[in-house]
Formats: sequence, structure tokens, C-alpha cells
Amino acid sequence: MNDFIWLVRREFWENKAIWVLPVCIGGLMLVASLFGKVEVAMLHASAQQSDLAGVLFFAVLGAVFWVAMSIYSFWYLLDCLYADRKDRSVLFFKSMPLTDSATVFSKLFVGVVAIPLVYLCVADIAALLVAFVISVRARLAFGNVFWRPELWLQVQVLWLYVIATGVIWYLPVVGWLLLVSAWAKRAVILQALLPPLAVMLAELLFLGTRVSCLVLRDRILGGGYAAFHHPLNWSLATGEMTPGVWQAPDPVGFFTSADVWIGVAIGVAFIAGAVQLRKRRTDT
Amino acid sequence: MQPGRIVGLIGPNGAGKTTALRAVLGLTTYDGELRVLGREPFAERALLMQETSFIADVAVLPSWLRVQQAIDFVAGVHPRFRRERAAALLAKTEIGTRRRIGELSKGMRTMVHLALTMAIDARLLVLDEPTLGLDILARRGFYDALVNDYMDETRTIVITTHQVEEIENLLTDVLFIDKGRIVLDCSVEDIGTRYAAVEVRDDRIEAARQERPFYERRALGKTVLYFDGADGEKLEGLGEVGVPSVSDLFVAKLSAERSA
Repeated sequence: MNDFIWLVRREFWENKAIWVLPVCIGGLMLVASLFGKVEVAMLHASAQQSDLAGVLFFAVLGAVFWVAMSIYSFWYLLDCLYADRKDRSVLFFKSMPLTDSATVFSKLFVGVVAIPLVYLCVADIAALLVAFVISVRARLAFGNVFWRPELWLQVQVLWLYVIATGVIWYLPVVGWLLLVSAWAKRAVILQALLPPLAVMLAELLFLGTRVSCLVLRDRILGGGYAAFHHPLNWSLATGEMTPGVWQAPDPVGFFTSADVWIGVAIGVAFIAGAVQLRKRRTDT
Repeated sequence: MQPGRIVGLIGPNGAGKTTALRAVLGLTTYDGELRVLGREPFAERALLMQETSFIADVAVLPSWLRVQQAIDFVAGVHPRFRRERAAALLAKTEIGTRRRIGELSKGMRTMVHLALTMAIDARLLVLDEPTLGLDILARRGFYDALVNDYMDETRTIVITTHQVEEIENLLTDVLFIDKGRIVLDCSVEDIGTRYAAVEVRDDRIEAARQERPFYERRALGKTVLYFDGADGEKLEGLGEVGVPSVSDLFVAKLSAERSA
């Protein structure tokens, strides 16, 4: 456990972008809210409308962080077992009494747990600051739209749910990236993207079908669909919100879905493969 | 290999030195059975590394790492690391602990790595071309520190290099390898009793060849014949008898082996 903490700390030393990037994004949002044009046309909104506006505000702001985090995590996972082989520092780390599985798991942990939590914290602080600035600039009463602790708490639970289900849903993608990162001797991005493209192309050419293409599309875009009840009937115009924030997540459906568990199995296999490659590869 | 020995694993480029060491250190798979300090290197690398240190080349510390972080990290994960010792070794140099490895010269990086490694109380230390790319001052400093501050009767050091001259004075044992095979495995004391290099005058060459030298070299008008286990008294009559240096013996053994 102690070793694991040091391994994670090491990742934060090496990859400062883990927190610098979200802080910059939050900073830009704050600057935009300070100097941008603010128009809040909701002074006469109903309670439901302001609830929904609050949730959407957090959702949109969070989505920006989510997209940035996905791109960064993609890069991080692809680089984490390759960079030290490239600069040969793997030879230093392998001279320490640390198992290769501990090393791979520390990187997995950073990629799917630590990075999302850092983004969540920064997104929270940014959301509170931006909400404060907008409230002041638009001369809203603090309690009106954004300063609603219960709303904030709901959104936290929602985001944690999104992160947890996201990690599980994207485990095969995460595992694949780690596998390529442990395997590649050069051009990691190409080696990550070409095999799935080749499979899709081969299927289309030789079989004339698009099964792998659809499976891949559903995996990449379908995370939210699997984790939430649908359709969501949320309308700012009417303030309608069915299902509500608490009712929208569908954990039962998610955790009983075969797709989820097939993905987990594939992801675990890829990660096990990455550990085996890590034991054998020390150079590029 | 016994404790208290400094073994030179010597071979030309591509002889298999690094491959052999990688197997010993558990960095690669191997055929057959291999035990290092009673452990299977590949399956038990993490455990083996509690008692084994290695420096594979110079300058493999990552450039983003700060010196202080390197000390903290090793102190955090290595049960046999003594922080005070690393700090004391570093204090002798002029390297600030706030500096990043990437800002340091190659010589300084080596000193940092050496300080980290020497602060680990290991039974086996493996050095693979440890001074490659260093200037002569840094190389000398490296080996002096190793012999004076680190080596004792409880430890074993294995060094590979293809610059034999540099380490021959500190070795207690030599292991010559070529094309993946062991050509010679012998202690330095035994070299003196077993091998002889005789500088032979031209008129005695034919007589000297009767004693079956395994290698013959002509340089600067002199002919030197190398003998393995020959009768010392007979050799005395042929010319000036001496003990070959490790580097001369290496050249002689390998050349003989290759022409055979």
C-alpha cells in the first residue's frame, strides 16, 4: 500500500498536466465569466425552471471538463507505459523492489480514478466561482439560481455516478490503451488506432458487414445511454424534468447489462496483457 | 560468485553481456534454470531487487525527476535504503537537491544515481557499462567511490564494459564472453599462475612455438607469445616472461578463439 502511494505520487511528479490543465480551463472560465457578456433572462423563472437551469449550468460546465479529461486521460494512458521505455528510465524504476503489476495498477488508478477526481474538484471550485461571479454581475439574489447547496450536492452525486459508470464502461478502451502503451516501440497513437480501423475495414471489404464498426461506436458513445434512464425529458421552456436528477441514473440497468460485463472482461484481459508485456519489455 | 568479489564481465560489442545481465536481473525471460541469491529473477524480480541493485548505463534517471524526489521515492519504496547515507554522498558533490535531473550534466547524473545506489544495502550490485559517455575525471571518481565507499566483504559487484583497461585494477575475477559463450572464467590471482606472456627474440621463435602458445602477436618489432599452463622454467629460457594484463589476455583469448 505504501509502495502504491509512492507510485501514484511519482505519476503526479511526472505529469503536472494532471492538475495544471484543469486549473487552466477553470481559470479561463472564470475570466470569461468576469469579462464576458452576462445575460440571465430568468428573473421570473419558476422554481422548476431555476432548478433545471442550475443543473444544466453544472452539466454544461462539467461537460467541458469531461471532454478535456477524456482527451488527457487518453493521452496519459497511452503514454504511461511507453514514456519511460523511450527515455530508458524504466531501467531505474525496474531496479526498485516494485512489482510490474503494482506499476501498471498505479497508472491505471491515476488514469481512471485520480485524474477524474482532480477534474471533479477543479470543476466544482470553478463552478462555484463562476456561479458567484454571474450571480453578482447579473444582480441575482445568491439563493436564486446557483447558490443552492442541495442542488450542488445532487450534482456531485451525479458526477460521481458518471465517473464510476464511465470508468467501468470504458474499461476495455482503457485496457487497450495500456496494452498498446506497454507494447509499442514507436508511434503509440497509430498503433492504438490502426488495429481497430483495420478490423473494421477488413470486415467491410471481405464480409460486407459493419458489426465491429457498430460495436465500437456503441462502446465509445453509449456510456451515458447505458448508465441513465432514457429518454430525458428536460425542457428549460417549461421547466419539465422527468426523470428528475435523482431518478435519472439507472444503476440497476447498468450493472445488469451484459454489455457492461463483457466490456469489463475484455478490459481486464487487456490489463493483464499489459502487465505481462511490462514484465518483458524494457526498451523501445 | 562469492561475496567480496568484483567480477568483470568482459566481451566485445554484441557478445551478449547485456543480455546475460538482463536475465540475471529479471528483466527478460530465459531458457533453463537460473537462480540469483536463491531467487528466480524473472518471476521474483521485485523481491530480488530488495537485495540487488543495478545501474544499467549512465543517465537513466528520468529528466523530470528532482534530486530530492528521487531520494524520497527510493526511501519510500526500498526497505534497505539509508537516506542519511545518500544525503551524505550527495553533500560531497555540488548538486543541489532542488535541481531536476534534466538540468544536470551527465557526470552529475551519474553521481546522483551512484549516491542512490550506494545508499542501498544490497548484496549484489550489477553495473552495465556504468561509465559510458563520461569524461575521465568522472569515470575515475565513479570507480574510486565504488571501491572505497561501497565495496566490502559482504557484497558482490558485477561490472560489464568493453573498456577493460579502465577496470582491470579493481577486478578480483574476470569472465570473458564472446558470441554468447564463456571464453574464460578465472580469478585475477589465477591469471598470474596460469597464464604467461613471453616476449621472444626472433631467433628463439621456433623453439618457443614448440611450447604451444595459444596466441602470438607481433608489435613494434617484438613478438609476444601467450601460454596457458606452460612450464615456467622452460619459458624463462625463451625470453622475458611476464603476466599478461587483463586486456592483453582478453585480446589473446578472443583472437585465438575466433581463429580456431
